[in-house]
Amino acid sequence: MPPVLTIARLTVFEAIRRRVVLTVFILTPLVIGLTAWGFSKLTHLSNNDGTPLSPVEIRANVAVLLILIAFMFSVIMAMGASFLAAPVLANDIESGLLLAILPRPIRRAEVVIGKWLGLATPLVLYAFIAGGIQLTVVNAVTSYLPPHPVAAIAYIAAQSLVLLTITLMASTRLAPMASGIIVVVLFGAGWIIGIAQTVGTTFHNHTIANAGTAFSLIFPSDGLWRGAVSALEPAALAAEGVRTNPLASAGSPTTAYLVWAALWGLGILACAIYSFTRREL
Amino acid sequence: MLEIERSAPTLPEERDTPAIRTLDLAKRYGKITALSGLSMSVPRGEVFGFLGPNGAGKTTAVKLLLGLARPTGGEGWVLSAPLGDLHVRRRIGYLPELFRYQEWLTAREILALHCSLARLPRRAWASEISAALRLVGLDARGDTRVSTFSKGMQQRLGLGVALLGNPDLVVLDEPTSALDPVGRVEVREIIHGLKRRGATVFLNSHLLTEVEQVVDRVAVIDRGQVLALSSIADFTADTQTVRVRLTGLATSDSLQAGPFTLKPQAEGWWLARGIAREAVPDLVASLVGMGARVYAVEPGHHTLEERFLQLLKGGEHASGADYRPADGI
Repeated sequence: MPPVLTIARLTVFEAIRRRVVLTVFILTPLVIGLTAWGFSKLTHLSNNDGTPLSPVEIRANVAVLLILIAFMFSVIMAMGASFLAAPVLANDIESGLLLAILPRPIRRAEVVIGKWLGLATPLVLYAFIAGGIQLTVVNAVTSYLPPHPVAAIAYIAAQSLVLLTITLMASTRLAPMASGIIVVVLFGAGWIIGIAQTVGTTFHNHTIANAGTAFSLIFPSDGLWRGAVSALEPAALAAEGVRTNPLASAGSPTTAYLVWAALWGLGILACAIYSFTRREL
Repeated sequence: MLEIERSAPTLPEERDTPAIRTLDLAKRYGKITALSGLSMSVPRGEVFGFLGPNGAGKTTAVKLLLGLARPTGGEGWVLSAPLGDLHVRRRIGYLPELFRYQEWLTAREILALHCSLARLPRRAWASEISAALRLVGLDARGDTRVSTFSKGMQQRLGLGVALLGNPDLVVLDEPTSALDPVGRVEVREIIHGLKRRGATVFLNSHLLTEVEQVVDRVAVIDRGQVLALSSIADFTADTQTVRVRLTGLATSDSLQAGPFTLKPQAEGWWLARGIAREAVPDLVASLVGMGARVYAVEPGHHTLEERFLQLLKGGEHASGADYRPADGI
């Protein structure tokens, strides 16, 4: 087995043995069950005069609520990626685990890529499994399916990979707590600046809009989240023009932006490799 | 029980080169000099003791040799390859001083992980793992998680990891620091076994009595530089003292044999100080001339600890022993 896959397998194994996977497998069905119950109640809501909501109104409510649920999953995925990646190299360096591994015929780049693969694979799998179950349950309860469900899950998974990659880079130099805090701040800042960008675009304030665009290029977390919203948002809801809604989309990310986000990820991974290779143990 | 199989033979073109050679190897961390101009050679097939006080630069030197840190000056070769060479690392086993292994794995899984990292053929893993567990006395605990291991057991496991694949060079950094006396004896036997099969052992330890029993050659470093490098016999020899066991002369506080003065010791031994090796036959002739029956003549001998302390405390460079400049092997 190539060293990269040995390290990736070891990383997955650690998540299993440390009961991370077990915890997620217990908590996720609970969350999905709770949301299913909420959606089932949503279909029986009525107006103030006692008349039941029209199918269009119910559909709009379900769509908005589903975007909120997706946001919750995006935060869980992003934070989960950071919490998993923050100690992954820093702890191994501090504890001395790597002193036994690195004298073996393995490149440091292979350690970094192996760790990345070992965290990214379960994250993406989790996004598609949990997201798929969530959307299936919502569809079963409300008969609603968002316009592009697979794309929405892919965007959320990609956002978690952005967080994972930058945390891993920080982990090559910083203690786990420092890495975690930096990434949480970046995530929060990205989200709020994304909202500011939407506001700037809506009210034609180019300075705010450009600042938002610049940050979404520097840290493409919120840009990908906006893609998820766009994929979840039905056309009718988007046409209402709720542009100041923090959970509203400003349209799908362009292909150029997606290519940029992929290159950004590769660049940060390359920086992580360079940083770890130069690190004295 | 502790027999180790022979490893693959060393490449013919390598046989005449040292297992380790460094030339003015230096390492600075900012303004701090951890190692300054380390030059030494470690012959193949020998057990080499690498000694020095705390902060002498031993661990830094080991890290440079294993590619864990980059030198800021000088050069070095391990098994004829430049420091950090990826391919040569297949032939190196290493037990770190700070031995930590994935506590959520079992001992057998740790060994399998290192079989994989060392690129050992898959078909050899089972026998390698069983042999390593047996060698370090963990065969009954192979399927137990490392989190339940004592420090001593973890160190034994680390030794097993270092010996996987019969490496040509084994670097042991304080290999007995967590072991009980039985474990220490076993490690000694393992080191003897490694020497028998032709491996080179680079041993870094503060337990000088342990070191003295296994090493062929010793280097003492301090403040990042080699103070002494010689065979253990030469290093511990006291060339100014001779012990003689004799009978036939009356016991007294001292004995004058020609120009030599001897002081009595226990069980018929007498000690002569300040005597050069070339003068020993004259001493024996004088004693025989006085009617003594001489049974044994022994050159003086210091313990490794005594010589180590003399060297570090006195700044003395081993009078009479074969101390050479660092490139002197």
